[in-house]
Amino acid sequence: MRKVIVGNHAVSWGVKLARAEVIAAYPITPQTQIVEELSEMCASGELKARFIKVESEHSAMAACVGASATGARAFTASSSQGLALMHEMLHWAGSGRLPIVMADVNRALGPGWNIWTDQTDSLAQRDTGWIQLYCETNQEVLDTTIMAFRLAEQVDLPVMVVLDAFFLSHTAEPVDIPDQELVDRFLPPRRARYKLDVDDPHSYGALVRPDDYMEMRWHLQDAMHDAVARFDGVETEWATLVGRSYGAVESYRTEDADIALVTSGTITSTARHVIDQHRENGEKIGLVKIKMFRPFPTDALRLALAGIDRVAVLDRNFSPGQGGIFAAELRSALYDLPAEDRPAIYGYVLGLGGRDVTPAVIDGIIDHVRMPGIPARADLWVGVKA
Amino acid sequence: MSAGCSLLWTGAEEDDRVFDLHDWEGAEPRWCPGCGDLSVLTAMQRLAVAEQFVPETTVFVSGIGCSSRFPHYMKAYGFHGIHGRALPVATGVKLSRPELTVFVAMGDGDCTSIGAAHWLHMIRYNIDVTALLMDNNIYGLTKKQSSPTTPQGFASNTAPRGSWLPALDPIQATLGVTNASFVAQTAEWVPAHLYATLRAAYHHKGFSFVRILQRCPQYTDSIYKEAVRKPSIVELLVHENGLTVPELDRLYTNQRRHDPRDLDEARRLAEASDVIRLGIFFQDESRPRYDLIRALPQRTVEEKIRLMNEELDRYAV
Repeated sequence: MRKVIVGNHAVSWGVKLARAEVIAAYPITPQTQIVEELSEMCASGELKARFIKVESEHSAMAACVGASATGARAFTASSSQGLALMHEMLHWAGSGRLPIVMADVNRALGPGWNIWTDQTDSLAQRDTGWIQLYCETNQEVLDTTIMAFRLAEQVDLPVMVVLDAFFLSHTAEPVDIPDQELVDRFLPPRRARYKLDVDDPHSYGALVRPDDYMEMRWHLQDAMHDAVARFDGVETEWATLVGRSYGAVESYRTEDADIALVTSGTITSTARHVIDQHRENGEKIGLVKIKMFRPFPTDALRLALAGIDRVAVLDRNFSPGQGGIFAAELRSALYDLPAEDRPAIYGYVLGLGGRDVTPAVIDGIIDHVRMPGIPARADLWVGVKA
Repeated sequence: MSAGCSLLWTGAEEDDRVFDLHDWEGAEPRWCPGCGDLSVLTAMQRLAVAEQFVPETTVFVSGIGCSSRFPHYMKAYGFHGIHGRALPVATGVKLSRPELTVFVAMGDGDCTSIGAAHWLHMIRYNIDVTALLMDNNIYGLTKKQSSPTTPQGFASNTAPRGSWLPALDPIQATLGVTNASFVAQTAEWVPAHLYATLRAAYHHKGFSFVRILQRCPQYTDSIYKEAVRKPSIVELLVHENGLTVPELDRLYTNQRRHDPRDLDEARRLAEASDVIRLGIFFQDESRPRYDLIRALPQRTVEEKIRLMNEELDRYAV
């Protein structure tokens, strides 16, 4: 079935098809439509899930933690301040190894109240033990939501599906909605390896002393490593059913390229269009899209960027005192390469708080990055008013 | 000591300024036509003129929601804060600058949902702050999701079949908390009562909690429709120790004498009933106040200079 739906509803459809069992949520712009639609699906009986209308985002994640610990498939959605308020419980979900799925609609953080898109909210949660998958289209949002449950339950880690405010959340696009029967084949009911079970009593949250704590964290790191390969497997399976896959990292027209843009989210679509125009002029320029931010796909990126001289990373986010977050992560991932194979990384911070990133802006970056002799930096700010 | 080299601020200078309504008008309100928030803003601006608040010593703190736009529209100091955290922010402001007049504007989401823990503790701290709970029984800014005060059975986008549970009653809840000192309820559609209640709350020494019943013309227009049309289903709590609003006597004939010093009776009156009760349920200025208990001792200018000189003398060569 093909429907024209907004990105928020693409999430709702994904969650419905994944047969989530517990949904706990608190409204926040621009996420609210996701859970409103799910609430409607629950009320009409289309989705047999418990919908819990909680009193804050902290409680929403706490309720998901509790539900997931009983073996249920749990989902929530949030944005910006709401995600920040969840922070403590995000650690709990990650280190508790609970395969919760949430959607985060990227929105700028206050103060400087702003409801528009900016990735700093989700990237600020990078150390909480969540897998993070960024999306470019509404179709990708729906597919990723379904795959997220599969991946989460394979590695016992929570997964955050990330989409841009308004450019995806409130923009309608045609989306192919797979049949329930097909999704059921791909995603069987959750069989929790560990859960609260009266017949097999265990507890969560005991005191762990220094002689065991590090092992717990090593197991978490090990599961993150595992998730890189598992994600490829999940995508392959999904592709055999629906014919679509995205890759943790996608290379677009990078063959023989000297220069590559690195993007994530909806800036990617604009960049593809710009790359096409430059390729028509015979310029050797390509694009690498990062879908998976945690675990960071180091090997895939090294492969994708091999042989490229200069890389321009477009960051709609920033870490104060450092610069663009993808740029910093990418530098770190490529540092161990032999110097002759290592591209120079130019980090461009742009589009914060929903400022438009137009083809002209990206053209300007391309003009800048190929200027001879300019030093590589991680925090070149684009279009800041004097 | 000449004014030019004064080391110590000795309080307001001789002030002959007079502030009128225009002086209190901040940004142009961007609430929907017919929103109850507009009525509260008008009452507050009227109070500011009547009591001649001084803009630079008046602070409005809010959280997030429609009502939390309030500080933008009062030309005074404002803090448009974080969802649910208006009360702790106000606590910080008041404890560090006790001479300021501090108001808090919250919606039912801010106060009774995401920030409910702070509400309980603020009542107990009993700090001299006036809090307005602008309660329209719905999350309006995010477009019609149930709040804790949404009536049972009322349908919303997060409860399409209607709210499952009885609504939380903020007056009952506040009266139940240890050390409550001023608890009142008023309605935005009775401007004279709203104004009189805000004035009483402002004059109360301690934490004043005012729940304002409000209509949201977009989403909860129906909830108080009958009460707006039929004053008989509104019962005014009147008492010389509390509130009397003589100009309402002809229209609002359903009145009950209630002494706001009587906590037991206040709690009985707060129980659900067929009438909507407006007035001061409870007031007691003798309750301990954290801002006074923890305040630095008040000193005169002479005392401060003497202490400073004593301190400096310790380092004399």
